[in-house]
Amino acid sequence: MGAPLLEIENLRTYFHSRSKRAFIRAVDGVTMVIARGETLSVVGESGSGKSVTALSIMGLLDAGPGVISGKITFRTDGGERNLLHDLEHYVTLGEQDGRIMEVSKDEAGWRKQVERIMAEVRGKEIAMIFQNPKSALNPFVTVGHQITEAIRLHTPTKHPREAKERSLYWLERVKMDSPRLRFDNYPYGLSGGMCQRAMIAMALSSEPALLIADEPTTGLDATIQSTIVGLLAELKSELGIATLLISHDIRVVSRLADDVAVMYGGTVVEYGPAPEILGARFGLKHPYTAALLASRPSAQNVEEKGGLPAIEGEVPDPIDVPRGCRFYARCNRVTEDIRDACARHEPALKELTPGHHVRCWLYGD
Amino acid sequence: MVHSSSGPEIGAPPATGAREPGIFRGAAPAFPAGTVKLAATKPITLVLARELALAALLLVGVSFVVFVILYLSPGDPFSVLLEGQISNHAARAGLREALGVPRTWYVQYLSWLGNLLQGNFGTSIRTGLPVFGEIARVALSTLYLTLGSMLVTLLIAVPIALHSSVRGTTALNWLLTMLAYVVSALPVFWLGYVAVYVIIHQFGVFPLTARIAASSERTWPFSLLPIFVLGIGNGTVSEVVRHLREEMSRVMGEDYIRTARAKGASVWRHAFKEGLLIPMTEIIASKIPFILGGAVIVEQVFNWPGMGRMAWQAAQDRDFPVIMGIAMIAATLVRLGSLLQRVVYVAVNPRASNERRGAAWAE
Amino acid sequence: MKRYSQTTGEVGESSDLSPWKTADALDLVYVGYGLLIVVLVLVSYVLGAFTWLPYDPEQIRVDLLNAPPGSAGHLLGTDFLGRDILSRLIVGIQAYFLPGLLAIVISLLLGTTLGALAGYRSGEVETLVTYFNNLVDSFPRLVLILLVIAAFKPGIYYIMVVVGVTGVPAVASLIAGKIEFLAQKNFIEAAHVLGLPSRVILLKHILWHHCMPLLVIQATIGMGEAILIETSLSYLGFGVQEPTPSWGNMVQAGANYFFQGKFWPSTAPALSILFTILGFHLLGDGLNGILEGSAGK
Repeated sequence: MGAPLLEIENLRTYFHSRSKRAFIRAVDGVTMVIARGETLSVVGESGSGKSVTALSIMGLLDAGPGVISGKITFRTDGGERNLLHDLEHYVTLGEQDGRIMEVSKDEAGWRKQVERIMAEVRGKEIAMIFQNPKSALNPFVTVGHQITEAIRLHTPTKHPREAKERSLYWLERVKMDSPRLRFDNYPYGLSGGMCQRAMIAMALSSEPALLIADEPTTGLDATIQSTIVGLLAELKSELGIATLLISHDIRVVSRLADDVAVMYGGTVVEYGPAPEILGARFGLKHPYTAALLASRPSAQNVEEKGGLPAIEGEVPDPIDVPRGCRFYARCNRVTEDIRDACARHEPALKELTPGHHVRCWLYGD
Repeated sequence: MVHSSSGPEIGAPPATGAREPGIFRGAAPAFPAGTVKLAATKPITLVLARELALAALLLVGVSFVVFVILYLSPGDPFSVLLEGQISNHAARAGLREALGVPRTWYVQYLSWLGNLLQGNFGTSIRTGLPVFGEIARVALSTLYLTLGSMLVTLLIAVPIALHSSVRGTTALNWLLTMLAYVVSALPVFWLGYVAVYVIIHQFGVFPLTARIAASSERTWPFSLLPIFVLGIGNGTVSEVVRHLREEMSRVMGEDYIRTARAKGASVWRHAFKEGLLIPMTEIIASKIPFILGGAVIVEQVFNWPGMGRMAWQAAQDRDFPVIMGIAMIAATLVRLGSLLQRVVYVAVNPRASNERRGAAWAE
Repeated sequence: MKRYSQTTGEVGESSDLSPWKTADALDLVYVGYGLLIVVLVLVSYVLGAFTWLPYDPEQIRVDLLNAPPGSAGHLLGTDFLGRDILSRLIVGIQAYFLPGLLAIVISLLLGTTLGALAGYRSGEVETLVTYFNNLVDSFPRLVLILLVIAAFKPGIYYIMVVVGVTGVPAVASLIAGKIEFLAQKNFIEAAHVLGLPSRVILLKHILWHHCMPLLVIQATIGMGEAILIETSLSYLGFGVQEPTPSWGNMVQAGANYFFQGKFWPSTAPALSILFTILGFHLLGDGLNGILEGSAGK
């Protein structure tokens, strides 16, 4: 397999609430790894920090302070790069009680640095697709033109006619019906599913090493979701492209993921191979993962338990981050002997079985 | 979840109140697979025809307001107006009979309107000449001033707005914005005096003669001065800066710009249409009434023989036909500007021809 | 270098600081300056109304022509007829203050009514209101006023009625937009469902809580515009007539002297206009900034 394609180490992305004078700890120390040709899926509820992680990789965050610590190693045939190179020179952190309470950041300088680093990466080596494909495409420009733009920017094909041919090839590849017709359509004339196909075509046309898909099926009709997932699965096996798939929908994840990372409250609470994470051995899981899987709507679920088992409590507030384990307040598997640890100290990731890590006192120390 | 740190809640109208047009208003339904593209776009001419009809209806309303004002004023000026129109008509048609002035108000209104539409604006009380001809004589001068000042305003405001929305608030653009503010709050007539003073002491020529001599090469630059003063005075620059900056910032936060950035594409090329072109035409079209009003004052200061000065004279002399004519023409110019702006919008926006507009008259 | 810090102590759902504490320092300065101007104007208005002035504004002093500021007890000097400029400036406020208030009241009342109608009952009512708005907006203000002057030769209060009416579209579209926004967010529906009594009380809710700040800001803009119009009109010779001072006619009267290099008689009133209009605009802007700051957490 070789060295992983993308390695995120201890990524922290904070925002700041003026009115509360407090940090919004959106991503609070995230580590994950994407191997070549593999699909890593990041799962979690809204607000868990999964989208922010993706945007942090791409350097697309505008709000302050943004990325404040971490290392993102990107390994391609062209070499190895840290996408957050020299971040320490732009950021100074102030801690108190083991928690970051002050951030000084040269935002303008960092923005320039990010543009420098990401100029060759965006669209070319890492491509990203978003949710709500209709609003993610430029409404003033035809769909075809948006794809040819990507081709002419990032591939050796510069001539408009050749680029158009290439775009049509990709439109066919994403199973768009009547590609020649759709080429001249504007996004408003296309359905959500077709727009998403177009975005996928646009992203893949430059043949990137990594595709980041941020909730690609959210906002689409249920039946269309299924077809898009099918398309992604096909493309994955045809192209062998590495993918970072972000989703809150476990059904989507189970069809596409090789590895899964479960995020909660801005941290990764469990990650490992998909069969293990999504499989039925609830005894070897993080309580949150177990609860997520158990709350999946299924006939079996409803029959056996007489209803959908929801997770009690509320989604954690990224501002008011608890001291101990972030899931403690909603956890239904706390035992007396670990209760103190759960309430006071955040557990570290521990390797349960090879490749399968869990952040939970039930399994650690 | 990721907001830029400034800006109100998503979906909230800007607190200063202008209703954003936004291209997603009145969402058209997505077309089912297989729909032939041709059916999707209505010809631009149909859309324009509708805009023209709306403008016409508004102008009718304008004419009615003008009518009411004149009709209600003491001394029955309306009859004077009509008489003037009739004598024009008679003079042109070569008729000899004395045509009586109609009595009832709606007949008065209709005959007046009818004459208006034929270009018969009556005769000036002061000069006795047909009003339309008088106004036409000076309208070009005012148009020259107006268009020139728009250019000046844009040349100053656009760079400031772009700089500040792209770079955020830096000390430089705060200074420039403040400067624009201060200049906007300065009375435009005083600014004019400063300009005139500059002419006198730099060139030793009093601008009274400047415009008349403007056709000759050497004194052409003098006409730039009233254009410049009108362009920077009157608050237009700061309003334009504010609007452009708001719109550009809003567009920068749109999903499709994020996609463009993620794609490594030129953000400018993607943001230009919605972020600069359309807002520019919007704000300029909406500022035409203010610029015309400012022209009244600027023409006064520089003794510029335009519609504004004629309006002032007419108000002094209570020369109803003239002021009425100018009011109608000014309103027509405003609506024309609005129409042009809609043309640009429809031309640029592929959805516009299909939009099912909410409030049918919304600007 | 941007610095962020977190307060020690509780943070969470209800730990919001008041908008005044979290406002941009600049906005606070704007509001401060604006309020200062408002106070000055109010004080001057009272002084002028009771003629508690340092000097008689119409008294000519042939021996003290064009005295520079600070000479012989004249804080702002004298004009080309030896009249005290400060006193004249103070009296000049009489020309626009009350009329301006009239214009604002009309704009706000009419505008709110129309806006509420349009926002609440879309459809034909909204179309009508929009038509009315576009109609009013078609006239350049000054030209319309000149028309009215030609027709009626009215006093400044009547003119301000016209100014007030021309200010209605801005207010109406503001209110209508806000109501649409609230409706879109289901606030209104929710309130209905919660059993809030009649729509009148609902309107009080909407208008007071949500629209009041916007209306205050519109009032500041309105005052700025009223000052602009009054001074422009008196500059053009249609308002207050000499020797009664108005900032506009003061600038106009000093014109010839300006060209001879005696700038002050025209410049003093011009600067007054500047600082006053600026004050109102900045007040509005500052309030706007503070509002937006608290809305967008």
